[in-house]
Amino acid sequence: MAINAIDQTRRMLSLVTYLRERPGARIADVARAFGITEDELISDLDVLPMCGTSFRGGDLLDIDTDGERIWWRNPDASGESTAEPLRLAADEATALLVAARAVATLPGLREGDREALVRATAKIEGAAGEVAGASSRLSVTFESEGGVFAEVDRAISERRRLWLKYYSPARDELTEREVDPIRLFAVGHTYMEAWCRLSEARRTFRLDRVAEIRLLDAPAAPPEIELRDLSEGLVQPSADDPEVVVEVAPGGRWVAEYYPHDLAEELPDGGLRITLRTPSPASLRRLALRLGRDGKIVSPQDLADSARTAAREALAAYEAEEHREGRQEYQECEDRQEQGAGA
Amino acid sequence: MAIAKAERLMNLALCLLGTRRPLSKRELRGSIEAYLEAGSDDSFNRMFERDKDDLRELGLVIETVESLDGDIGYLARRDSNRLPPITLDAEEAAALGLAAKVWQQARLAGAASGALQKLRAAGMPEAEDTFELHHSALEPRIPVHEAAFEPLMLACRDRRPVLFDYRKANSARPEQRHVEPWTLECWRGHWYLAGFDRSRGAERVFRLSRITGKVRTSRSGAFTAPVPDVVTVRETVESWAGETATRSARIRLRTDCGYPLRSRATEVRELGDGWDELEIPYGHGLDAWLVEFGPDVVVLEPADLRADVVDRLRAVAKG
Repeated sequence: MAINAIDQTRRMLSLVTYLRERPGARIADVARAFGITEDELISDLDVLPMCGTSFRGGDLLDIDTDGERIWWRNPDASGESTAEPLRLAADEATALLVAARAVATLPGLREGDREALVRATAKIEGAAGEVAGASSRLSVTFESEGGVFAEVDRAISERRRLWLKYYSPARDELTEREVDPIRLFAVGHTYMEAWCRLSEARRTFRLDRVAEIRLLDAPAAPPEIELRDLSEGLVQPSADDPEVVVEVAPGGRWVAEYYPHDLAEELPDGGLRITLRTPSPASLRRLALRLGRDGKIVSPQDLADSARTAAREALAAYEAEEHREGRQEYQECEDRQEQGAGA
Repeated sequence: MAIAKAERLMNLALCLLGTRRPLSKRELRGSIEAYLEAGSDDSFNRMFERDKDDLRELGLVIETVESLDGDIGYLARRDSNRLPPITLDAEEAAALGLAAKVWQQARLAGAASGALQKLRAAGMPEAEDTFELHHSALEPRIPVHEAAFEPLMLACRDRRPVLFDYRKANSARPEQRHVEPWTLECWRGHWYLAGFDRSRGAERVFRLSRITGKVRTSRSGAFTAPVPDVVTVRETVESWAGETATRSARIRLRTDCGYPLRSRATEVRELGDGWDELEIPYGHGLDAWLVEFGPDVVVLEPADLRADVVDRLRAVAKG
């Protein structure tokens, strides 16, 4: 792993101040306090004895470890340079404050945690001084559906099963199912990862698509599964999923932003030819309808046909109605004439 | 083997923090092994300037002092570099620990843990039972996939104008934009930039994923337009997304279909025959959304919405 010299320097500056107060500190404790691995800490301890106010004898930090504890034999040699913790940099204050403010807005956060976060934020703002100002140039809003969130959170902490009425946009229908919740996470929207008893598989549910939720008495018993790595993105189509090709005009280029795809080739008219994979191609009928004249499904053919059929059926309803309305107006007209004649 | 950069930076920091009088470049070169080994004066000077910039990024306030006889010296005064006293309890420490984990962007993740480490050095207690917070089963994450994020974040921070190529949602070719960046905001997992667009002479909101190529920052340029006290990115984006309804629409919806339409309906009336009539808010983009429901939706009013939907359906029907 390449070590980022800036991050390492930042860490070592805090480390020396921390170690100064704690002769004989244990490696494991220090690594935990600094949120780093023991290997990372040891690589810092390899560098520190080469640092000091000059490289001449006696001015270097005499920091040593026996692999378990850390000893610093000349904490006064470096003078006051290591005596006090350093002020927060603009990026540090920003990173911490923006994150703290965002997390504090999550409706599902426990009240005690939220209060602690709000108190901590105010203290950090105070300690950061003027650099705290830059943090207002960055902001993050999490969205989560309060009531649903609270039920899921409770189910997880009490290890109970949930009953859901869940909306599937692909099929435009609500399905009822029982799930064993595993965790909640927020990436833009708030999601629940759960073991679905209906499909006997892991499923991710977006909380704003939960139409109804009920806590059951049955205990949750999700099988031991490895949690998904969310850093790769939420939707991770598999190579076995069927391929769909969509061609869009310039007005439909947003498709490439919203759908993870294998390929997006430029077309001469400024459009794109997008190749993507999805476990259920039928769910893309909605996309084809939404695109209108800005794009169409090229393959598979049956998906393209189903979008066309849906559009024709929809148009038929409008035409029938216009026909009916036309007749009605005509009828009303005649009625009025009769009334007029009678008067 | 060349001396590692972290070692060099650490030495420079300790020298500047440890001194009570300004140190000249010559003195610093004499005290820091990596600078002695730097070879030519030129390469030393370049290295020294870069290192000073890096330490300033870390928050170090380095003063440049000119003495009476014209010598330039450097020092990092204790009182301008000290973290003011701050006392956090274990709960607050645990809450900050959770917050610091949300960044999925290397620079900010590094900065957030750096901040925690400084606070730890200042005596911030360790959460005795980290379980307490994790027990709240939530794992918030702030995704940052856009390459333009970091340069724009720095430009917002330093108030530097930027140049980038931007492709609007519905246009094929990117166009160059010259922008004074104000703020970045993440909403529904996407990042947006608000700023003053110089060529258009007005405030604009940009979606970062539509920035193509590199963001160039003008090093010297300054803002020409005043920065407003309150920048409303979210409201602008919400109105793009059709969340700000200005009118209402009446539709017919097949029973058991279109749950999201029902959930925002202001009125639902059963018509019988497997159809309901709904009154729903009408904002930007409603036409495209209604078309998604195919034959399960019929727009009744207003006439312009109905015409838009029919128009879109005809395009799909033609194939």
